[in-house]
Amino acid sequence: MNLDWSVVWLNRDALIAATGTTIMLTIATMAIAVPCGIVVAILRLYAWGPVRAAATFYVELFRNLPLILVVFWAFYVLPILTGLSLSPLATGLAALALNVTAYNAETFRAGINSIRRGQVEAAMALGMSRAQALRRVIVPQAVRRILPVLASTWVSLFKDTSLVSVIAVTELAYVAMQIRAQSFRVLEMLTAMAAIYWLLGYPQAKLVDWIQRRYNVTE
Amino acid sequence: MANVEISATRAKSAGAKIIRYRGVIKRYGAFEALRGVDLDVHAGEVVCLIGPSGSGKSTLLRCTNGLEMTDGGEIEFEGALLPRDEKPLRLMRARMGMVFQSFELFPHLTALENVAEGPRTVLRKSLAEAKTRAAAMLAKVGLADKEANYPSALSGGQQQRVAIARALAMEPDVMLFDEPTSALDPETIGEVLNVMKVLAEEGMTMVVVTHEMTFARRVGDWVAVFDTGRIVEQGPPQQIFDAPLTERTRDFLSHLGWAG
Amino acid sequence: MDFDFAVITDHWRFLASGVGVTLALSIASGVTSIAAGLVVALARLYGPRWLRPMIVLYIDSMRAIPVLVVLVWTFFALPIVAGITLPPFWAALVGLTIHLAAYAAEIFRAGIESVRPGQTRASLALGMSRAQIARRIVLPQATVRMLPAFGSLLSITIKDTAIASVIAVPELMRQSETVQGQSFQPIEVYTFAMLVYFLILFPVTRGVDRIYRRLAHLGRS
Repeated sequence: MNLDWSVVWLNRDALIAATGTTIMLTIATMAIAVPCGIVVAILRLYAWGPVRAAATFYVELFRNLPLILVVFWAFYVLPILTGLSLSPLATGLAALALNVTAYNAETFRAGINSIRRGQVEAAMALGMSRAQALRRVIVPQAVRRILPVLASTWVSLFKDTSLVSVIAVTELAYVAMQIRAQSFRVLEMLTAMAAIYWLLGYPQAKLVDWIQRRYNVTE
Repeated sequence: MANVEISATRAKSAGAKIIRYRGVIKRYGAFEALRGVDLDVHAGEVVCLIGPSGSGKSTLLRCTNGLEMTDGGEIEFEGALLPRDEKPLRLMRARMGMVFQSFELFPHLTALENVAEGPRTVLRKSLAEAKTRAAAMLAKVGLADKEANYPSALSGGQQQRVAIARALAMEPDVMLFDEPTSALDPETIGEVLNVMKVLAEEGMTMVVVTHEMTFARRVGDWVAVFDTGRIVEQGPPQQIFDAPLTERTRDFLSHLGWAG
Repeated sequence: MDFDFAVITDHWRFLASGVGVTLALSIASGVTSIAAGLVVALARLYGPRWLRPMIVLYIDSMRAIPVLVVLVWTFFALPIVAGITLPPFWAALVGLTIHLAAYAAEIFRAGIESVRPGQTRASLALGMSRAQIARRIVLPQATVRMLPAFGSLLSITIKDTAIASVIAVPELMRQSETVQGQSFQPIEVYTFAMLVYFLILFPVTRGVDRIYRRLAHLGRS
């Protein structure tokens, strides 16, 4: 085994840029998936028949498909559906957003539903409308339950960005494996790739733990 | 079967009828929770609903402010039929105060904020006005020093008193109590019943579902005994507790160990 | 836009073998991860002190590193480090197990810790031994509580087998890629793959839901 770790240092610029792309993808996906998730959750909870069914179908569909398949499918189908020629990055972002929106919608719905009926009744007994009860009583409580789950979804998303490497998006996994292919430094690059993910992901996982402890809901 | 209407003098029947129940029916699937209830609640009266669990007392209360919809009969509040549409129903709800067995304080708000929530959000008062009113109500129930506390820091009895203050802050025409002390430790039941007694003495119209027979006997003006969805007997407390007219009432009271 | 789904029927044997591999890999890695996860969880709860920080490090690391990275490393890097070259299916099995066992261990730990200590106290008061308590009182309740989480883990396992396509495991995803590469009909092929995955996954999540609802009362104390 003759190892040459300098390949990591030599390619540090590319790796840093790629890491930036990974982080940016995570942030951008969440920026889309949180508001969209809220909308879908509200549709599932309060909308009228067919709309509600459509929202439920959407959520159940994307929760029961492998993300890597969604990425490939988006790559081939989106250009045809939208008529636009999307960059791999945009396609990857779209696939991730579709996927995470579905999970978020479920998180928001479960969070809202977990608030006791009595709370809604007390609000309505005061004369509040459903909308007022939602805004003043349910949402503030639901947020405390939703936040830990959302944090956990964030960390999963961060790891899932690695899957868009299959459509040649220049994030960390893709770039690391490119360098491996070009330099033949297999062990060094793959280990470096794992190490970089670890360095970024480990603190995030610990942060999630902290959030879950802090927002520990006791009824 | 018509409700047994007693011709005994009804102390406060001179007042306006705040609530009228006529033949109220409520079903849950095949189960009939209310099978035709007739009852009047006059201004300033304290009407106590007693009876075994599942006899329909709480159901009637929840139909009164529209938390449940009736399947038959009618409920009149201050001369108008209870509407079925949200908007007018909401306006009526704002004139009724409800106190729940499980308190249902909003855990993310302090005691003061809980009490101010109704005036602020429903009556659209300014924050300052709502808070002033809230402070007054909290003082009225004896919790002026707990304004800044969250419900989790309050005992059951204190939480229930805050809940009463929250309902009072809306300046309701009637207060509905759904087993207000059933979830409380014995030591704290007294403090809540005292607040209710003061309210009664001030002339508040109250409908109280309760198992506290001593309260019903001493503070109630009119008592209705429920059994399987109907009122089997109603009358002044002296009649119900001292000289009940029906077998069912006697059975119920003896099961409770009521010695008079 | 016109679609020709004949490409599916033309290659159905090839694709069906992919489904077979997907199922085989899912079941195999499901079993090995749960077994390994149990060992890890027990080692953490009842094993020697010095082992604990290492186990925590392992579990938290698997929360940080993507499955793709673990699989790729197991297939390409392990031969260099350890001299063992694993064929794709086995590399995927090992990689998936390493990744998923961490999650399984956490589920076991949370499940066991969630049984109220009063249950243990009551059992001790009756005169039971620790082993009896674990076997007859704690573990049965914990198992019921862990069902939803394991159901979810099973669902994740099946989805992760699709990532094994990256290291040339001939499961459904990989077979689909091959077919669409030859026939240039990616939409039909991938839509078919989506349908198959959905038909496998949906009953799994629903089924676990149902079973849990039936048994939930057994776990409540």
